[in-house]
Amino acid sequence: MRSADATVAPAMGQDVTTFASPSTDLETVISALEARGFRFDGHEQESRTVLDTFDGRLAAEDLRLERRDGGQRELVLGGPGVVAAHVPADAGVRFARDLPPGPFRARLASTIEVRALAPQLTVVGRLRRGEWRDGTGKVLATVALRDGLRTDPSADDLPGATLEIEHVVGYDKRARQTVAVIEDAGWHRVDGDTIGLAAAAAGVDLHGFTSSPTVPLDARAPAIDGVRAVLANLAESIEANWQGTVEDVDPEFLHDWRVAVRRTRSVLGESKHVLPTAVGQEARERFRTLGRATGPARDLDVYIIEWPTYTAGLDAGVREALGPALDLLRRHRDEAQRNLVELLRAARADGWLARWRSWLDGPVTDPDQGRDQHRPLGDHVAARIRASHRRLVDHGRQIRPDSPAEALHDLRKDAKRLRYMLDCFGSLLPDHRRDRFVKRLKALQSNLGEHQDAEVHVHHLRLVSHELHEHGAASGTLVAIGQLAEQLDRRRHATRVEFAEQFGAFDSKATRRALRDMLDGIDG
Amino acid sequence: MYSIKGGVGKTTTAVNLAYEASRSGARVLLWDLDPQGAATFFFRVQPLMKGGAEELVGKRGALAGHVRGTDHAGLHLVPADFSLRHLDLHLDGTKRPTERLAGLLEPLADRYDVALLDCPPGITLTSESVFGAAEALLVPTIPTTLSQRTLDQLAQFLGDRRDAPTVLPFASMVDRRKALQRSLAAELAATAAGFLPTTIPSASVVERMGVERAPIGVFAPRTAASLAFRDLWGDVAGRLWS
Repeated sequence: MRSADATVAPAMGQDVTTFASPSTDLETVISALEARGFRFDGHEQESRTVLDTFDGRLAAEDLRLERRDGGQRELVLGGPGVVAAHVPADAGVRFARDLPPGPFRARLASTIEVRALAPQLTVVGRLRRGEWRDGTGKVLATVALRDGLRTDPSADDLPGATLEIEHVVGYDKRARQTVAVIEDAGWHRVDGDTIGLAAAAAGVDLHGFTSSPTVPLDARAPAIDGVRAVLANLAESIEANWQGTVEDVDPEFLHDWRVAVRRTRSVLGESKHVLPTAVGQEARERFRTLGRATGPARDLDVYIIEWPTYTAGLDAGVREALGPALDLLRRHRDEAQRNLVELLRAARADGWLARWRSWLDGPVTDPDQGRDQHRPLGDHVAARIRASHRRLVDHGRQIRPDSPAEALHDLRKDAKRLRYMLDCFGSLLPDHRRDRFVKRLKALQSNLGEHQDAEVHVHHLRLVSHELHEHGAASGTLVAIGQLAEQLDRRRHATRVEFAEQFGAFDSKATRRALRDMLDGIDG
Repeated sequence: MYSIKGGVGKTTTAVNLAYEASRSGARVLLWDLDPQGAATFFFRVQPLMKGGAEELVGKRGALAGHVRGTDHAGLHLVPADFSLRHLDLHLDGTKRPTERLAGLLEPLADRYDVALLDCPPGITLTSESVFGAAEALLVPTIPTTLSQRTLDQLAQFLGDRRDAPTVLPFASMVDRRKALQRSLAAELAATAAGFLPTTIPSASVVERMGVERAPIGVFAPRTAASLAFRDLWGDVAGRLWS
């Protein structure tokens, strides 16, 4: 068991004081607590599993979701300073939507959104509960004594035992008295709780995987070192999200995988003269193919995720009539996913991604060095961000009210390229100055994104309508699709009209000043 | 939980609804505002507010220090004591009396999903302050010929208010053996705005709450009354979180 100064995950429930003992002699402390007024139940076998998303969204909010399989099966959502909420859970819960409507589901959904829950750690062991009640039978304090603890997946046995006091709000004096009894019995206080101790002992990080593009960088280091560090970090993200994408665990795996690929493409595109020519060229081609393959499945994911928002303004009857359209979209999405998985498996089988990873991790021995390989990283990044900004502004200025939708789509890609550079090389830029510039860019990106989504989705809706018509769909469904398409088209038109204003705000002195301030100092 | 009339099953519903809400995964704070302190009694909590009602609604008053854990996970209680009999008077002494209870609850908004306020009957300054704090008014209604009139009075009173809470009446203490009550309950469900579909039966198990000092779901979870309170919470959750 870890000592009190060890760093462990936060305790479950608002007020839990945890003690640990290397000894398995529990009778001494039980006797002392019984003398104080506690009464103990018999032993029960307990299993607690921590559930979280792959990227640890609950842990990031200081929340913990446990599935408890003891006397009764329940889900418990709590955390330090948070009143724990309990809900019976006989069936498995993978998504927030698997729970009945109510505050528990609403809270969970607001944190995990569309992500799936997966077991992070299971702790099994023996539990004895003790309660201290007053003359009316009111509980004043409870303790949970655990021993014979074992963790899964590591299957490590945890020596000794733990004892947690679960404070009852408003009865602090009783909790303090309980603490004194336990300390007198020779137990020592530890940080966190039993789950946290078990996670630390098993080497399980309950915070999940973060697909953050930011890595520590040195502006004076050779450009190739910084670019390779960024690409290696992105390669890790691609690798981490691979399995979840292939298994279609939840839509965020594909999203994060796709974003990591796109960021990689942007960095490769902006580092043509930094990387060895042959390596860079092959990587650009490979990632272009992979990136393009993700488009159809992701577009349809967005469509399905946004469906409730898109249809919210329609009458209940119209929404119901749209059922076959949504079903067809789901079938299209499943087909796009199958195609993607085929391509991903082929890409993995070919072994190039593993070679790419080895190249990033090993020393650079390529004979054809990049022209800017030894240029200071800060100089390189600042020059590429300026060029990227210039390109975005030049292209944006050419867009007229009658420009085709593709022009806006291309501009969106320009904006993304710039944004990815800011994300990936963010550690070189002062946070507050970067945030100021990113805020301006984000407003433009949001407009372009909404326009593109509406454009793609209106187009897809027409295809769906055509296909359903061919299969003899009810006229009510076709009329409802027409209504939805009209609504989406209005949205597309509105974002198109807003574009001029949004771009005008971006193409301004204030943005140029924000850009100058942000890059000031990193290019030596 | 509110009714102009007394003896309609308000506290019984507040206690059982709070329990069922917490069992369904809500973090619940039940605030006993009735000086009789019946809800406080049912949860075996001492009827004591340090400083009394005057200090609580005063300038420096705060609710957090009065919260007590119950024996049920996710369910906390602010107990009542006899000082609440002067709550109207103390509220009257504050700057914005109808906003005071909302002001006391606000700092706890992130800690709880549901705050259930068990109000004393009548239209008083306390009830007006409750109207200012509540998103919905759950109104237990015994199906009698006067019930519709009482609901109309309440609707009329709230009609003039800005941000009036949603009124959610439901049939309470219904004696299924009485044909008139059954038909009136059905008529109210069909005609009264917001009327919740679940009917709470008049049942002897409710009287046992005083002996057991616990919600019915704890000691008689399979009885019709217990299941009705569970369904009633389902109705409320469906309206507020759909």
